[in-house]
Amino acid sequence: MASHRPAVLNDQPYTDPNPLPSSVPHVDELGVTSAPLKSASFFIGQHCKEVNEDFMLCKQENRDPAHCLSEGRKVTRCAADVIGKIKESCLAEFDAHWQCLEKNNQYFQACRKPEKALNQCVFTKLIHEKSSPIFTRVQK
Amino acid sequence: MSGSGFHGFKQDMPPPGGYEAIKYKRNLPVRGVGGAVVFSTVAAICAFGFWRVGAGNVEKRELKREQAWSRINLVPLLLAEQDRDAYRRQQAALAREKEIMKDYPGWEAGKSTYNSSRYTPNTIVVL
Repeated sequence: MASHRPAVLNDQPYTDPNPLPSSVPHVDELGVTSAPLKSASFFIGQHCKEVNEDFMLCKQENRDPAHCLSEGRKVTRCAADVIGKIKESCLAEFDAHWQCLEKNNQYFQACRKPEKALNQCVFTKLIHEKSSPIFTRVQK
Repeated sequence: MSGSGFHGFKQDMPPPGGYEAIKYKRNLPVRGVGGAVVFSTVAAICAFGFWRVGAGNVEKRELKREQAWSRINLVPLLLAEQDRDAYRRQQAALAREKEIMKDYPGWEAGKSTYNSSRYTPNTIVVL
């Protein structure tokens, strides 16, 4: 079959090797797996509320990936900033919590003790607090 | 004739001290606690069980909500990362298409097959 690909059988999934066009500013990807992301999710959600909402509103305008690249970069930078800060000041607690999540099928309820320690550390050092919004129909 | 009565027989008489009283009253010994106590105990246990079920349902709902919000908080950053990758692939595909179709004047590389300004993802991805 005609293809631009070399006739090599790969057992790896194909990834497009082409880089981003140089017109798009570079941003480091988070490179964080699911458990640390889940562990930090409420801090990310709280700290990056504005940029996240801006990005989602932009996506609502237009689903084209090219449309919201700059907003997306802000989102990624903000999340990287939060994770960096947490790692800087609460590394032990953070590691304990996400490793607990990793071992417990990522159930929050299985890891309340490390979560409490992490929240306490982050709250005292970074002034964040876990909060999940109240789910009502009038919520904007 | 000596051991018998007057006419040679013995009159049947009540035992010494008389007969015991006839048991004509109901005799139902108490067997365990009463019905009202059993009923109310069962009712109390059931009520406690239902309360626990209700509390468990509230707890489960709250855990689900926590889970949902954890994911909601992560959607923008995952989407942003995905978008950058999609854009990169799109641009690469566009460059390939331009290169392949450069000898065909009038070919518009990357033109959507739909007559719409709405974004429509490619249904065919050439690897």
